[in-house]
Amino acid sequence: MELIVLVGALVFFLAIGVPVAFSLLAASMAAFFVLDIPMLVVFQRMAAGVSVFTLMAIPFFIFAGDLMYRSGIAERLVKVAEAALGRSRGGLGQVTVGASAMFGAVSGSAIASASAMGSTLVPLMEKKGYDSDYAVNVTVTSAIVGLLIPPSHNMIIYSAASGIGVSIGDMFLAGIVPGILTAALLMFVAWRVAVKRGYEKGSFPGMRAFLMAAVIAIPGLMAAIIIMGGILSGIFTATESSAIAVIYTIIIGTFVYRSLGWDLFIKAATQSVKITAMVLMIIGAATAFSYALAILEVPTQLANLITTAVDNPIIILLLINVILLLLGTFMDMSPLIVIMTPILLPVVQKIGVDPVHFGIIMMLNLGIGLVTPPVGSVLFVGAAVGKIPVERAVKTIWPFYGALLFALMVITFVPAVSLALPNAFK
Amino acid sequence: MIELLSKFTHRMADLLVNLAGAGLILMTAIVGWQVFGRFVLNASPSWSEQASLVLMIWYVCFAAAAGVREGFHIRIVALEEAVPPKLKHGMKLINEIVVGFCGIAMCIWGGELVLKTWSHVIPSLGLSRGLAYLGLPIAGFLIALFSLERIFEELHGDDVENEEDPRWN
Amino acid sequence: SFERKTLISADAHPADYPTVRAVEEMARLLNEYTKGEMKVKSFAGGQLGSERDTLEITSFGGIDFNRVNLAPLNAIEPLTGIASLPFLFKTTQHMRDTLDGEIGDAILASLEPHGLIGLCFYDSGERCFYNTRKPIRTPEDMKGMKIRVQNSDLYVSMIKALGADATPMALGEVYQSLIQGVIDGAENNWPSYENGRHFEAAPFYSLTRHVMTPEILVMSASRWNKLSSENQAHVKKAAKESVGFMRKLWDVRVIEAKERVLAAGVQANEVDDITQFSALMRPVWDKFVKTDQQKELMHAAIELGNSYD
Ligand code: NA
Ligand code: NA
Repeated sequence: MELIVLVGALVFFLAIGVPVAFSLLAASMAAFFVLDIPMLVVFQRMAAGVSVFTLMAIPFFIFAGDLMYRSGIAERLVKVAEAALGRSRGGLGQVTVGASAMFGAVSGSAIASASAMGSTLVPLMEKKGYDSDYAVNVTVTSAIVGLLIPPSHNMIIYSAASGIGVSIGDMFLAGIVPGILTAALLMFVAWRVAVKRGYEKGSFPGMRAFLMAAVIAIPGLMAAIIIMGGILSGIFTATESSAIAVIYTIIIGTFVYRSLGWDLFIKAATQSVKITAMVLMIIGAATAFSYALAILEVPTQLANLITTAVDNPIIILLLINVILLLLGTFMDMSPLIVIMTPILLPVVQKIGVDPVHFGIIMMLNLGIGLVTPPVGSVLFVGAAVGKIPVERAVKTIWPFYGALLFALMVITFVPAVSLALPNAFK
Repeated sequence: MIELLSKFTHRMADLLVNLAGAGLILMTAIVGWQVFGRFVLNASPSWSEQASLVLMIWYVCFAAAAGVREGFHIRIVALEEAVPPKLKHGMKLINEIVVGFCGIAMCIWGGELVLKTWSHVIPSLGLSRGLAYLGLPIAGFLIALFSLERIFEELHGDDVENEEDPRWN
Repeated sequence: SFERKTLISADAHPADYPTVRAVEEMARLLNEYTKGEMKVKSFAGGQLGSERDTLEITSFGGIDFNRVNLAPLNAIEPLTGIASLPFLFKTTQHMRDTLDGEIGDAILASLEPHGLIGLCFYDSGERCFYNTRKPIRTPEDMKGMKIRVQNSDLYVSMIKALGADATPMALGEVYQSLIQGVIDGAENNWPSYENGRHFEAAPFYSLTRHVMTPEILVMSASRWNKLSSENQAHVKKAAKESVGFMRKLWDVRVIEAKERVLAAGVQANEVDDITQFSALMRPVWDKFVKTDQQKELMHAAIELGNSYD
C-alpha cells in the first residue's frame, strides 16, 4: 500500500511534467504521511543529501569548465586535440571517451568527470558540428568508466560494506580490464554513430600548425596536469582538486590569456550555480525518496525474492543485475552499495561467485543507474551542461546503453575479465 | 497588481541567483584556503569543510527557488507535448500547484526544522545547526510565491518567461 | 495520520557489527517482556543517514531507537563531552565502571531535554594512532604528521596539543588520502582499522589508547512518552541487559581484528610512557570542561581512575 503511494505518486507527477526534484519531493511527502514519519524529516534528508563534501566537485568543475569556455582556453585545447586526431570520423567523440575515462580514473567520481568533461567538451563538440545529444551521450556514458578504473571511492565503500574484508587493492586491480573493455566498446559506438550521422572528417593541418596550436594551449594543458598531478602526489584530494581547477583557470584566464573579465566571471558563477541547483535539488529530493524506500525495505525484499525463487546460478546473476539496474534507476550509487552488498554477497558466494568479481559487477551496474532516468545524476549533469532536455539525450542514447549492457554481461559471465589481473599479482 | 508582483519576483529571482553565485565564489575561496592551509602552512583550518557544506545548502536552495521562476528545472515534457492544448493547459496548472505546494511545505516544515535544531551546534564552526537549514524556509516561501505568479499567468493565458531560455544568457 | 506499529531502529555500523547485534538482542528481549506487543525493526549500515542526521531525526520522533557514538551528541549536550576527553580513562575497565555507575547515569539523564532518552552505553574500544611512516612512541614522533580526525573541535585540539597537524576529513576519503599521502595517519580502534582496510595503507599501529568515547543507545522521547510505564521499564531493562551481550561480542571482535591485521604484516607497538602524552592534555580539558556540572563529573571519573594504576 505504502509502496503504491510512493511509486504511483512519483510516476503521476513525472508524467504531468512536474520538475523531477519536485516530483520526488511531493511523492516523498505522500509516503512519509502514510508511513507516520514527521514531515520535517523530508526536508532534513533533502538538506543532508545536498551537503555532501564530495558533491562539491559538481559546482566547482562546472564553474571551471564554464570559465575555460568563456575565456577561450577550452577552444585552444580542442584545436590541439583536433589537430592530432582530426582525420578520423567522430574523432572528438573518441577523444571525449578517452579523456573522460582518464579523468574519471583519477578523480574516482563519475559525476565529477561528467561535470568537468561535459562543461568543457560538450560546447566544443557542438561548435565543431556535432549534435548536442551525441555530445551529451558520449560524455555521460564514458564518465561511468572512471568508476571501474582505480582509484574509486565506491570500491572502498563496497569493501567496507562487504563485512568480509574484500581487499581494496584487489578491487582496484580487478577494475582495470573491465574499465578498458567498457571504454573500448563506448569508443566503438561513438565512432559508429558518428559515421552514421556523417559528422565531418577533419584534416591534419600539418606538423607546424599542430605545434603552434600546442604551444598556445600550454597553460590550458597545464590545468589537466596540475589537477591530476596534484591528486596523485597527495597535495589535494579529488574533491579539493575541483576548487583548485577554478582558481587556476581564473589565474590564467585573467593574467595569461587576459580574456576573463569581471562580467564573464560573474556570468560563469551564476550560470554554474543554476546548473548545480538543478542537479543537487534532484539529488537532495532523491535522498528523501530513498529514505522512504529504505523504511519500506524495498531493496531487501527484492533481494529476498530472488534467493527464494530460483537456484540456477545464471538466472540468479541475471536477476541480480535486473534488480540492481531497477533500483539504480531510482536510487543513488553509494547508499545502494551499502544496503545491497550485505544482502547479495552471501547469495552470490553460495553459487561460487568471487566477492571481488561481484564488486566489479556492482560498480558497473550501479554506474549505469547514474545515466538512466528518472534519477540519474550523471545524465542530468550532462544534459544541463549540454543545454538540452533530458528526453532528447535519452532518445538517442540507446546504442551507448547497449555498449554498457554488453560490457556488463561480459563482465558478469566471464569472471576472468575481472579476476585475471588480481590473481596474477597473488 | 500582477504586474507589480511580476516586477518584484523578477528582481527577487535575479537577487537569488546573484547571492547563490557569490556563495559559490566564497566556497571556492574556502576550499582553496583549506588546501593552502594544509599543504603550505601545515595547519588545516578545521572550520572550512563545515562552512562550505552550509554554504552549499544555502546556495542550492536559493538558485533552485530562482529556477522555479525562470522555469529551468529538469522535467519530462513528453506527455505535455502529446496532448491537446486544453489538456496541456490543465496539466501545467496542476504542475504549478504541486510545485507551489512543495514550496509551502518547505517553508513550514523547513521552518520547524530550523527551530528544532536551533540549540544544536555545528562542530568546529560554533554556529547553530538551525542556521544551516535556514535557507530552506526562505527558499520555500519564495518558491510558493513564484509558482503563485505562474499560476496567475497560466490562468491569464500568457507565458511566464518569454525571453530566450533564461539559463543560458 | 496512521500510527506506526513496528518501531524503527537505526545504526551506522554494518549488519553484523556488535552494536547492531546488541540492539537486535535488546529487541528480542523487549518483544519477549512485552509478550509480542513491541516489535523493533533494525536498519543497519547507515541506511537512514549519518549518525548526526539520525540523531536529529530521532529527536523529531522519526526514528524510535538509535545507536550512535557519543561524539555527535557533544554538539547537542555538552555534558556528554566528558566521556570523550582524551586520556581520561586509564583502562577499558575504568571506562566501563564509570559508565555503568552514577556518572554514566548522569550523562544518560542529560539527554532528555533534547528529546532523547538515554538507555545504555556500549563499548567502542580504545582508539589508537596509526600512520604510514613509523611507530609512535613519544609525542615527539608525531611532530609534523598530518593526522586525520573526525570533524570535532575536541579532536583537533588534542592533535594540536600533541604537536601534530589535525586534518578533519570524512571517513570515506581516508583510505585514498593515506595512499596518496594527503595525510600521514589517522586514529581508530582495532576493528575499524581492519574494517576500513586502513591497515593496508598505514601499517604502523601505536597503542596510545587516547580516547574511549563509548557508543550509546537512545530512544526518541516522543515515542517513549507514548509508552505505558510498564513498557518503559521493559525498555530500560532490555537495554541494560544487552550491554553484557555486546561487550562479549566486542571483546571477541577486537581480538579477531587484531590477529588478522597483525597477520597481514601490521607493526603494533606500545608507547614508552603514556604520561608523556596525557601530561599535554591539561589545556585541552580546560578548554572543553567549563560548567560546574561538567567539572564535577570529570573529577569523579578521575577519582574513580586512581584505583586502576
Ligand atoms: Na576511478
Ligand atoms: Na538512474
